[in-house]
This record gives sequence, C-alpha cells and structure tokens, in this order.
Amino acid sequence: MPAKRTILAALTLTLLSGATAQKATTVRLGFFPNLTHAPALIGIEKGYFKAAFGNTKLETKDFVSGTTLTEAFAAGQIDIGYVGPGPAINAAARGMPVQVIANAANAGAVLIARKDAGIKTFKDLAGKKVAVPSLGNTQDISLRHLLVENGLKTKDAGGNVTITPVAPADVAAAFASKQIDATLVPEPWGALLQKQGHVLVGDEKTIWRGGDYPTAVVIVNAKFAQENPNLVQAFLKAHLQAITLLSKNPPAAQLAVSAQLQKLTNQKVDPRVLQLALKRTKFTADLNLDAFREYGDLNKEAGYARTLPDFSTLVNLAPLKSARGK
Amino acid sequence: MTTVLPATPARPKRGRALLWQALGLLLILVAWYVATDVLKLYPPYVFPSPKAVWQEISYGLWGSGPQDGKLLLSIGNSLRRVAIGYAVAVALGLGVGLLLATWRGLRDTVGAYLTGIQSVPSIAFVPFAILFFGLNERAVLFVVILEGFIPVALAVSGALLNVPPAWRVAGRTLGSRGLPFTLNVMVPASLPHIVGGLRTAWSFAWRALVGGELLTANPGLGQQLEVGRNTGSVALVLATIIIIGIIGGVFDAVIRVIEARIRRNYGLEVMA
Repeated sequence: MPAKRTILAALTLTLLSGATAQKATTVRLGFFPNLTHAPALIGIEKGYFKAAFGNTKLETKDFVSGTTLTEAFAAGQIDIGYVGPGPAINAAARGMPVQVIANAANAGAVLIARKDAGIKTFKDLAGKKVAVPSLGNTQDISLRHLLVENGLKTKDAGGNVTITPVAPADVAAAFASKQIDATLVPEPWGALLQKQGHVLVGDEKTIWRGGDYPTAVVIVNAKFAQENPNLVQAFLKAHLQAITLLSKNPPAAQLAVSAQLQKLTNQKVDPRVLQLALKRTKFTADLNLDAFREYGDLNKEAGYARTLPDFSTLVNLAPLKSARGK
Repeated sequence: MTTVLPATPARPKRGRALLWQALGLLLILVAWYVATDVLKLYPPYVFPSPKAVWQEISYGLWGSGPQDGKLLLSIGNSLRRVAIGYAVAVALGLGVGLLLATWRGLRDTVGAYLTGIQSVPSIAFVPFAILFFGLNERAVLFVVILEGFIPVALAVSGALLNVPPAWRVAGRTLGSRGLPFTLNVMVPASLPHIVGGLRTAWSFAWRALVGGELLTANPGLGQQLEVGRNTGSVALVLATIIIIGIIGGVFDAVIRVIEARIRRNYGLEVMA
C-alpha cells in the first residue's frame, strides 16, 4: 500500500511540475517548400529553431498544401505550422484548436497568363480558365475577390470565368497543352513561369491591398501553446531571427532558402528566379489584422464557410510581443 | 407430383426486408448520434454529428447561399457523365463480348488481358488519362468507359459460351440459322448472365467516375469531396459520401429488380 501511494504521489508530482513548465519533449513543425514559408526554410537550414528549443527535440514535416497540413493538424500531428490565412481561418471555423501567433509573409502571389492566351489585364480573364493551387485556399479566395473587383463572375456564380484547381508544379505542363489560360500562384512558381516566357498580368501589389495582406501565418495548437509557453516563446524568437535575416541580409537568406529547398524537393531553383520571387514577397511577423479578417469575409462570400471564427481567440499576438520585448 | 408453388407470395417478404433495413439504418443513426453528440468521442472536425452532415446535404441540395446548391449541380454533372460513360461502355462491351465469344484466338489473347486490366484499380488510370486527354471531362469518361466495358464484355462472352449445347442443337435442328438463330436462341439464352454483367459494370463505372472526378478538376461529386477536404469540412465530405452511396445503391437496386425479373422468367430464381 505505501509503495503504491508513493508511486501515485510521484506521478502526481511529475504531472504537476510538467504543467507548470512544459510538457512537450518534441516540437512538430509543419510548413511547405514554398517561398512564402521562407522563414521556416531559413530557421531549419540555419538551425535557429534547434538552437532555440535547446533540449527539446525538433521534428519538421513538409506538406504540399494547406489541405494536408490542416489534416495533420486536425489529427494532432502538428504543434506549430506555417500555413496560408485561408486554411487557418477555415480550420478555426470548423472548431479546430488553432491559434495564429504571428505573420510570416505578405503578398508573394502573382497572376500569370499563358503567353498565347491574349490576357493583358484582369478584365481579359472573362471567359478564361484560371488555375489556383486548390479550391478554398488563399489564392482561390484572392482570385474570387479579384474577379468581383473587376466585374467578373465565376461559372458557379453564373458568370464565365472557370476556376480550376491545379498544383503549381503542374501549371507549366497545363499551359503547354493549353488546358488553362492563367493562374494565381504563390512564389517561386510565379517567377518560374515568368522566366518560361509567360506573362505577368498582376504582380503582388495589384492583386489586393497594395500587397499588404498576409499569405502565410504561423499557427499553433492552442493546447500545445497553453502547456508550453516557453517553447512557443523560443519558436517565435527563432522565427523573428529568420525574418531579420531575410530583410537585413537577402543574399545569405537566399542561399539558405535555396539550400533547404534543394534538400526538400531535390531540385535546384534558378538563383535568378529565387531572387525575383523573394523580392515580390514581404517577410514580416506583423499581422495585418484587417486584411486577415477580410479573408474570413471573402471566404464566407465564396461560400467555403458559413460561420466566421471568433477572431479574438483565433489570433493571439501576446507571445509575439513578449518575444520581441527581450 | 403437383406443381410446387411458393407458399407465401413474395410481396410481404420484401416488406419485412425493408422494415429490417429501415431498422438497421435507424440503429446506425442512433449509434452515430450517441458517439458524436452525446459521448463526444471525437472532435466535430474529425467526426461530425449527423445533424452537421444533414445540414451540409440540405445546403447543398436546396440552400440559397454562395456555394449552396453545389451538391445538386455536382449530382447532375456526375449523373450526366456516368450516363454517357455507361452507355458507351455497354455498347462497346456488347461488341467486344460478341467478338470474344465467336473468335477463339481473340479470347485467348485479348480476353486474358481484359481480366488483368480489370484487376487494376480505376484510379490508377487517372494520371495517364489526365496526361493523355488533359484536365477535362474526356479524361474522366475514359476511365469510366474503361472500367465499365470490361465486365460487360466478359459477361457477354461468358454467357454466349455457356449457352447449353442442347439448346443450340435444338435451335439448329429446328432450322434456325444466322441472325434469327442469334436473336431467337443465343440472346435469350444468355440474357440473365448479361444482365448480371451490366450490374457489375454499373458499380465499376460509378466508382471509376468518383475516383476520376476526385483527381481531375471537373465539378462533380468527386470534386465536392476535394472541396470538403480543402476547406476542412468533414461534414461536407461525409454528406458527399452518403449521396454517392445513395445514388449508387438506387441504380444498383433498379438493375437488380430487372435482373430478378429476368431470372424469375427464366426459372432461375428458386423460390422456397
């Protein structure tokens, strides 16, 4: 009996002490090998995250889209993730325990038209087939807004513009076989297509809000954040460090991004493409709250969600503030 | 010996089966409700409640919001596609089946391959179809036809080859030759088997359609699944799965009724 009690007491003690400091022994970080996720790429390549976490292990997982990342998040396999504002808002609207703790990148998406499609302005998209990485994602929402702004309607709303999901990596092939006429893609895909001779119709600034809108944010599992405030704090410091490198030393940042991309995708990205793509993406941890909220409205307008999440619980910038404080 | 007649008419029996089916459905719904709404075994974003799924179905079928009515549109698109694909598959299957039955060399070569192709899941052909036809409806139709025509062809050739020799001999002895022989002896003799093949072909075609739509960018039920997935809406995914199941089941039941009637007319349905 006494032995049993001691074990119980010891167990309670460890549980209690765990609750006060930190519970996790591993941080599982999710991101995509896209340029808007450059802070993640740099943080991994330069070892910023590893250094910040100390004894806590870092596990990184790269995903192809917000869809797969959100799925992993729902299944409890991701603690911290880089994702577009669209999937973040959708996840929150479905009741997932997601919290946005910082911004990662603004703009960094462009509208490219096939060179022989005869599209020069947004208005020329009438009657055309436009690709987005996936339905309901950040670029899809931006495109739908762009169409409305230009007095155009999608086919499902009784108009004549067809929005079709095509993975950015497959756009070049779809252009070659004239399956699609234009695409709204995140970088570096935009710069890559442009280098292949396709036409830049809308740059990062003309798509929306003069480029001052988030395209990648940092999300964290709310339960994880509550139990491991120190780890979240440490992560944010490394995140800020990566963003500082991107703004203070672009050549070094570009090298790190290129090295990490090559490790992940087994492909060497042309340095000139990377340079152009990086120039069109603005990296900042500051979240434009108005633009972020408006994504929610646009998402609802597009019919992808019926309810808006509670933004006051979805966004929590307090840890970012204190990470900057020191 | 007197003629054996069924002791009870078939109708009340069918009624009882329906009752059991309804009861089973009710049981599933109750278990589902208890697991989600009462016990809350899973968070709603992993396994939603029956109510949430019903809401998605009702929005999708008769809602009036921005994406509402999408389900109805998707059902229409999918049905149109499967109708075209199935019709072509049946026509092609009948022709190929007839050739296989009459031509031994073809049966030993192509016939063997057909069974092999049939064992490849339809979704495996989608990437090829997309590359070959592009991101359009033809890619989906290709997969539907490919999956649909093989069971028909195999059933037709099998049925024709399995016509009892005695019937053939009887037909020939009575002086039937050529087309009348085929129409009056061979076709009626193999009909029950062929209808079975048509039913298999339907379920293959329907599955191939949803798989094809899932991977290509065409609005339809498969694409609805993808939208649900992209926007983290498990309720929409489940709602679409249910609709796919209902449509598949209803069509299967219709063909089954026709099949049963034919089998009964042929004295193949043994009633106890």
